[in-house]
Amino acid sequence: MNDIETKLRETVKRLLADHTVRYVIGWEATRFEDKTRPAFISDSADTDRLVWNKYCVSSLAKYALDEQHSEGKIGICVRGCDSRAVCRLIEDKQLLRENLYLIGLPCDDKEMNICDTCTHRNPVIYDELVGEPVLERQADRFAMVGLMEAMSADERYSFWESNYSKCIRCYACRNICPACNCRACYADQERVGWQGKQMNTAQNQIYGLTRTYHVGDRCIECGECERVCPMMIPVMLQTRKMLKDINEMFGDYECGLPDGRAPVLGEYTLGDADDFM
Amino acid sequence: MARIGVFICHCGTNIAGVVDVDEVVKAAGKFPGVAYATEYKYLCSEPGQQTIKAAIEEHNLDRIVIGSCSPRMHEVTFRKMLMSTKINPYMLEVANIREQCSWVHTDKEKATEKAIDLTRMAVAKVCKSKPLFPDSIGVTKRALVIGGGIAGIQAALDIADAGYAVDIVEKEASIGGHMVMLDKTFPTLDCSACISTPKMVEAGAHPNVTLRAYCEVESVKGYVGNFEVDIRQKAKYVDHDTCTGCGACEVKCPIKVSSAFNQGMCDRTVMYKPFPQAVPSKPVIDALNCRKISGDGKCGVCAAVCPLKAVNFEDKGEIITEKYGAIIVATGYELIKWQDIYPEYGGGRFEDVITGIQFERLVNASGPTEGHIRRPSDGAEPKDIAIIKCVGSRDINKGKAYCSRACCMYSAKHAHQILEKIPDGSVHIFYMDVRTPGKGYEEFYDRTREDGANYIRGRVSKIFKEGNKLICKGEDTLLGKPVSVEADMVILETAMVPATDISKLTGILSIGSDTDGWVQEAHPKLRPVETQTAGIFLAGTCQGPKDIPDTVAQGSAAAVKVCSLFSKVQMETSPIISAVDREKCSGCEMCIPCCPYKAITVIEIDMHEHGKKVKMNVSDVNSGLCQGCGACAGACRSGAIDLKGYTNDQILMEVDALCL
Repeated sequence: MNDIETKLRETVKRLLADHTVRYVIGWEATRFEDKTRPAFISDSADTDRLVWNKYCVSSLAKYALDEQHSEGKIGICVRGCDSRAVCRLIEDKQLLRENLYLIGLPCDDKEMNICDTCTHRNPVIYDELVGEPVLERQADRFAMVGLMEAMSADERYSFWESNYSKCIRCYACRNICPACNCRACYADQERVGWQGKQMNTAQNQIYGLTRTYHVGDRCIECGECERVCPMMIPVMLQTRKMLKDINEMFGDYECGLPDGRAPVLGEYTLGDADDFM
Repeated sequence: MARIGVFICHCGTNIAGVVDVDEVVKAAGKFPGVAYATEYKYLCSEPGQQTIKAAIEEHNLDRIVIGSCSPRMHEVTFRKMLMSTKINPYMLEVANIREQCSWVHTDKEKATEKAIDLTRMAVAKVCKSKPLFPDSIGVTKRALVIGGGIAGIQAALDIADAGYAVDIVEKEASIGGHMVMLDKTFPTLDCSACISTPKMVEAGAHPNVTLRAYCEVESVKGYVGNFEVDIRQKAKYVDHDTCTGCGACEVKCPIKVSSAFNQGMCDRTVMYKPFPQAVPSKPVIDALNCRKISGDGKCGVCAAVCPLKAVNFEDKGEIITEKYGAIIVATGYELIKWQDIYPEYGGGRFEDVITGIQFERLVNASGPTEGHIRRPSDGAEPKDIAIIKCVGSRDINKGKAYCSRACCMYSAKHAHQILEKIPDGSVHIFYMDVRTPGKGYEEFYDRTREDGANYIRGRVSKIFKEGNKLICKGEDTLLGKPVSVEADMVILETAMVPATDISKLTGILSIGSDTDGWVQEAHPKLRPVETQTAGIFLAGTCQGPKDIPDTVAQGSAAAVKVCSLFSKVQMETSPIISAVDREKCSGCEMCIPCCPYKAITVIEIDMHEHGKKVKMNVSDVNSGLCQGCGACAGACRSGAIDLKGYTNDQILMEVDALCL
């Protein structure tokens, strides 16, 4: 057990005892040493179930959507990426900041590839920080995109074709994504003319492309889509490509920051890039 | 199953000359859902329309495809025709086989193939059409005219005379605009002030006109028939309800600054009326230069001499909110800042290089020299005067590509006035072309040349000073020789450009402007005084350079548009607007910033979710404001917004018809 974990449990115990929150979403241990799972703690006697270690990787923000229409606050443990996911949901008018109590957890020990390109290791918004802020690191978010862009058109096509031939359309990438918060997802709808339900490469590719365009300018780069994909499809590479283009056309741009900037593709200014015209 | 009727128009030989109409009819007859296909020479003609009506009855058609010219031309004609049949006017698709096919292609075989494709797409789309019904909204019968120049005054007077209330918002302290600055007007040489001041006075006194001078439009909400406008009344520091305009304060005001009305060629007091015939004829304080307000707080002479105690240094201005049914934009023009772009003309260093509008003040009896032409540097009467036209106009490299239209005529007028007032003087006019399209204009130009004006075809490349003289070096392109003119004074006839803050106003009003910043009309020929936003009209030079007769004509034209809007109790709105599927809308509000017409708001509705009654925020489209552009439908990730008449389903049918 580490210091931060102890402090986290104390904090949650206090928040539950003084009725600041109805319950807290965090992580708890599983029977596998290297896996944790989301925990929903509503009883102050249960706070010892909470853990904080390098295996606390799953994103928690989207669980808050279940409480969209409930009264009172809930608590969420937020790392940098979780806090940006919360920002995303607040910006998309799905959550109200005042209904959330954010327990910030600076995060520097995860061992996932995706975390190497993390530019916000400290929570960008929180009510209370547990532990000391960690150093932010410079990272080339678009290194992988560069590799993809270096491929010829044919290579690129067969790269994505072979990836999407594996897709089983489980929609895990959509379910975990904080930017995917439509009430009714097009992928679930019957008789949408441009998206077939069939699980074949062509329809899978259309699904991948449409999803990319739906979330591209709102992607917070948490990498959860890739982490949860059971078929190891590099899903975030697509949104990162969109973000790279956006950065080139509209200037430096990162989503899910509390700077109030509207998603670039949802705003219009006279100075917008229009070289394609 | 749909029963579609396809009608292909020959448009004389416009279509039939390139497209094999019979082939198109034959092909269309085999498209799924088509019950009847035929052709006709001119479908828009009365017999053409009768043919369609008869076919609807005979073949029991329930939707129509017409292959003809652009829907911008005759869609309305055919919709009106359908109103007298059993078919809803919106169960109609127009395949544009003229502008998008026969007019742009010469290969008959391929053009016919394309016409068949276009018709196939229209047939596929109309299969998914649904009957649409227009909405109706009430109309506030009060108009707002933005800009109190001659265009705005004319429009306001015409609306007022028709019996409707109208407000004029003018940013300066007096209405009148540029026209009242001018001395005489071409080609009749009547005094500009003498013909414009009666209109100003009439506007000031008309019971239906409310003058809002020294005001600016702050924000505009609402839609055609129901605008809500915030108007900022700038601080006047004089209570105009009390003030009688006696002028005592102006006489006693000790601080003088350069007069903008006189183009900086003489001074005015800080407590001022812009010019003697100002309407309203009451002064305001130029706070920026006032010692009492912006200086050391001493002075206050105006308050001391005012017999009615109308001066109020604490005035902060106010925001007035008014409701209007229609808005006319008449914000006029400015002259290009030539000093920045023409360093070769001295860039403003030579006092005796003046602009046309400065000359207007110079030659005007109420101007700085009481109408005597004297040059600014030493007050001497200039003998040799050079006039340079197209300064900033027709100059792609430095100025504007367009022609400012009025300069050819007023430069001829300037030459005439100079030769009249200085009989022993000479005038040299450097020109590129002389353009005189107007009644009596060419005759006036001829007269000026007979007066002795020396027209030199060519641009001036440089002006420099030699002793007391300004040397204009240029080329006489008719002789093909360099030319050098010694002048005592040079007049630059500078380009008209849109008012500086016009882009702010077009933003507030959600109306378009062109690349040069002029306000964009809805159609350059057929809807010249309407904007793309319903209920907002335009008049005068805010739309592009023009002379006084054209400006006044546009003012009256815009007034007619407003009056025809006001003549209805209820106004019909187009049913081709966005519709929100509330079941799908997640209330993300992404559609709101992308709507150019501010037509979308968020409303709270009751919904049932998991057996619970919950409050949900969803987007709501205002049918009066929505112009059916479809930007929101594109922005909506949930696919909750669809554009009626152009639904996603319909577009997909068209794409499939073409590609599959």
